[in-house]
Amino acid sequence: MRLPLMLRVKYGIGRYLPFLKIRPPKVDRQAAMMLRPGRNSMLTWEKRETGETMLLVPQNEKVGRVTRTMAKFLKAPTERQVELDEVGGYVWELCDGSLTVDAIVQRTCKQYKMNRREAEVSVTMFLQMLHERNFIGFYKKTGKKA
Amino acid sequence: MPTQVQSKLIRAEKRAAQNAEINSTKQTVIGWQGVRCMLPPDWNVTGFSMDRENGYLRVDAPAPGTMTVQIRWSNAARVQKGPPNLYTFLAPRFRKLLKRPEPAVPKPDMKANLEKILKETAKQAKKAKSGFESTIKPEKTEGDDDERTAINFSWNGGGRGQGKIWYCAICHRIIVAQVVGMPRDQTAMALIASQLFSTLHDHSIDGYDRWALYDLQVDVPDDFRLEDQKLLSGYLHLGFRRGSERILVDRWGLANVTLKKFTLDAWFRNHALVKLKRLPKDERALHGHECEHYTGSIPAIARIRALRETKGALRRFATRYESGIWECPDTNKLYAIQVAHNKRSVGLWEEVAERCDCH
Repeated sequence: MRLPLMLRVKYGIGRYLPFLKIRPPKVDRQAAMMLRPGRNSMLTWEKRETGETMLLVPQNEKVGRVTRTMAKFLKAPTERQVELDEVGGYVWELCDGSLTVDAIVQRTCKQYKMNRREAEVSVTMFLQMLHERNFIGFYKKTGKKA
Repeated sequence: MPTQVQSKLIRAEKRAAQNAEINSTKQTVIGWQGVRCMLPPDWNVTGFSMDRENGYLRVDAPAPGTMTVQIRWSNAARVQKGPPNLYTFLAPRFRKLLKRPEPAVPKPDMKANLEKILKETAKQAKKAKSGFESTIKPEKTEGDDDERTAINFSWNGGGRGQGKIWYCAICHRIIVAQVVGMPRDQTAMALIASQLFSTLHDHSIDGYDRWALYDLQVDVPDDFRLEDQKLLSGYLHLGFRRGSERILVDRWGLANVTLKKFTLDAWFRNHALVKLKRLPKDERALHGHECEHYTGSIPAIARIRALRETKGALRRFATRYESGIWECPDTNKLYAIQVAHNKRSVGLWEEVAERCDCH
């Protein structure tokens, strides 16, 4: 969820000058539960027999020509691997932009017979972590990014 | 656009559906420090205190910011006037030694207690710049043997609350229980309040306290005190102590995922209180599941460590260890109960394990 430049500048000032009390608005929980997580199209993944899911994250995409040449010369890997456990892989597969966070929590609850609150905490934290790493984005409605 | 009458009807229908749901579905059992009650499904504990004498418990509705149940308790028998002295320290011990009856506990002033609580709530309402009104109903006696002296109350200001304060002559506890919500939830609040007050118990009947939260329900003897807890997503741990004796209750979620990598035995070996290598193992049936059961004496090094942890307390010094782990496929969870006990407490593990509801 990338903010417009003006807002980013405003919140940046608020962060370094806390006495101005400029803070980003708190996200309403109900609104957050209705967001639809969608996977980053740059990423590929494969499911292993053991149940784990391996995410392949491309590297050196946004680097300069010199760095790219150096990476080629030093045979640096072009992609990074991130391993998700079985539950993580299940949630990852559900992040196709059509299901809301709430629906993902419900499905995880049902699949792994978890308590609703436990599932909600784990799934939201996991989605937050994926979002921080730019593996997923959130849509307000199908097709429209929040 | 629906008319005013139509929208009123829609709202009434919604309310009726909500009430029917509350009445029909499976209830959640909440149990903490001897206090237990039943609430609608998916209500969960969100706040608690570790203290048994004076503590609180907070249980929230599934949708946050809607309704909350708050329960506070204090022990009227433990209220000391003035600083502790040698008499207050020795008297209960001698009384116990000489098997003398406990002195009569004077009945606490309930109204004063309630007014103090309402004053605090009024202060909060004033901070939120909203008016405050409260209603206190007359005192009445309740219970099978009229052991409860109770006062019902309600307040309105910022939010809305419906509660009850009572003193139990058996356990000498003063309990304040209230349902707090927004003014729009008045009907649902009344339902929850009536359910809460009719199911709330403040002391054990058979000498066992029910500890129940997040699908975990276990009965532990009421003289064991909660020592530590871990309430994580997917892992719950409750540790109890009585002198040197201990009861540890663990519950892991996602059993099917865990058991793909580990065997039940290997998983438990990594999490047991003592090294299980030399302890004899047997398998027995428990709640319709296969339980891996270990029993034996506690190694000398572990005994020394326990002695150090209890600061030299020799009361009921634990010399025996008994534990068991089982998988409940119905709930996809692993349950483990470990007991470090004295020779006098033989059969404690069986009793706790039998009283642990897994499905």
